[in-house]
Amino acid sequence: MPGLLAKDRIIAPSGYNRWLVPPAALAIHLSIGMAYGFSVFWLPLSRDGGWKVSTLGVMYSLFFIFLGSSAAIFGRWVEREGPRKAGFVAALCWGGGFFISALGIYWHQIALLWLGSGVIGGCGLGLGYISPVSTLIKWFPDRRGMATGMAIMGFGGGAMIGSPLADILMRHYATPAGPGVWQTFVTLGVIYTIPMLCGAFGYRLPPPGWQPTGWTPPPPTQRAMITTRDVHVQDAWKTPQFWLLFVVLCMNVSAGIGVIGMASPMLQEVFGGKLIGAAGALKDLTPDQRAQVATIAAGFAALLSLFNIAGRIFWASLSDFLGRKRTYFIFFTLGIVLYALAPSAGKMGSVALFVGIFCVILTMYGGGFATIPAYIADLFGTRFVGAIHGRILLAWSLAGVLGPQLVNNIREYQIDHGVPAAQAYNTVMYILAGMLVIGFFANLAVRPVAERYYMSEEELVRS
Amino acid sequence: MTSESKTTSWVLVALAWLLVGIPLAWGIYRTLRSAIVLFR
Repeated sequence: MPGLLAKDRIIAPSGYNRWLVPPAALAIHLSIGMAYGFSVFWLPLSRDGGWKVSTLGVMYSLFFIFLGSSAAIFGRWVEREGPRKAGFVAALCWGGGFFISALGIYWHQIALLWLGSGVIGGCGLGLGYISPVSTLIKWFPDRRGMATGMAIMGFGGGAMIGSPLADILMRHYATPAGPGVWQTFVTLGVIYTIPMLCGAFGYRLPPPGWQPTGWTPPPPTQRAMITTRDVHVQDAWKTPQFWLLFVVLCMNVSAGIGVIGMASPMLQEVFGGKLIGAAGALKDLTPDQRAQVATIAAGFAALLSLFNIAGRIFWASLSDFLGRKRTYFIFFTLGIVLYALAPSAGKMGSVALFVGIFCVILTMYGGGFATIPAYIADLFGTRFVGAIHGRILLAWSLAGVLGPQLVNNIREYQIDHGVPAAQAYNTVMYILAGMLVIGFFANLAVRPVAERYYMSEEELVRS
Repeated sequence: MTSESKTTSWVLVALAWLLVGIPLAWGIYRTLRSAIVLFR
């Protein structure tokens, strides 16, 4: 069995079409992307199992923490063992996590639910997420951003498939005795393991020295900041560039996650009855009107998720032409302006402008995720890009805790001090804009890696 | 080595993309259906 998963076994034959690799990566990323859609289980589980939604919500913290940690810890292993073994283990962890969680639901043990999907599934997320990055960058040296953008778009789009699928399954399995959640978990465990295994076995590595037909590497220039050399993963974190990219990702993601988490209540509280053509704030509406407003707000959240995935492929592909630094320059500059404008759009009562602002912001949130692997490859080389990317993903774990905490606490503080709910988001927006200012300066400070950090020819052979 | 896409069938490539594209398109369609209420 190990032979089947070995790195040497997946070297592509001459004439292999590189366009077969992105679908393999997408199969894995679309499966693990269901992590974003887990909230579809909270209501049935809280009704049937008696668990509080806040208790179930711990799952998201576990996802972020274990995704980042496993990517950081096992990144070097993924580079050494190859993408197929990493994808295989990711499939076992993610699919197996569903089975363990199903037992947790069946036995009513929340710890098993957390252990299954949160801890073991979280490790599957981390391994699955980084498994194709290095491979895609090697297959698409001419379009690094586009290639990784395609895969990472899948992670953003996974919940779009998983949430309605879970809903359909729960309806199918529901009986008077229960909502059919554990049966849904078992089915999803099977459903996700299969495409992930197909993806893992679909991975191929380019033969040594392979280049796309008719493409020659552009000459290295200081301006383009694309190196042809490599920095070892053990040395990468010693460079200022590593920490600058860490801050860039952390700030971009914190602001975006903060918005995603508050999108639905924010639209409802800022515009209230205006969303359905009625007068008054949200608290003044009838239960029926509130339900209508909530439906519209759910539509807003859905629209944001579409822009999130569109941004992943759009900005990452554009970064191949603009350069990564310039792309992040746009994210931060435009982001600061848009976050600062959002309160004015709310004050003006312009729903269209408000929605438009957040749609653009969400494209840049997704774009930030999708462009970072190519930024890392440009600065540190392609040899250890997967492992270095894995370590930088710890910024995501940090942001996953920082962003929502910041947004929720500031909002609650405002409301506790007498600020009307509709205006409680204004300060939040200005603080998120401030976080983007930090990211802006971090990106501005990025320069090519100093000569002493690059590996010598001898070190390359030994590694 | 610079050879590429000479032996792999484009049918296989199209099939691979369809396998991931169809569920993704279904997900996008479902999401668009939810989002449409915002424009009514």
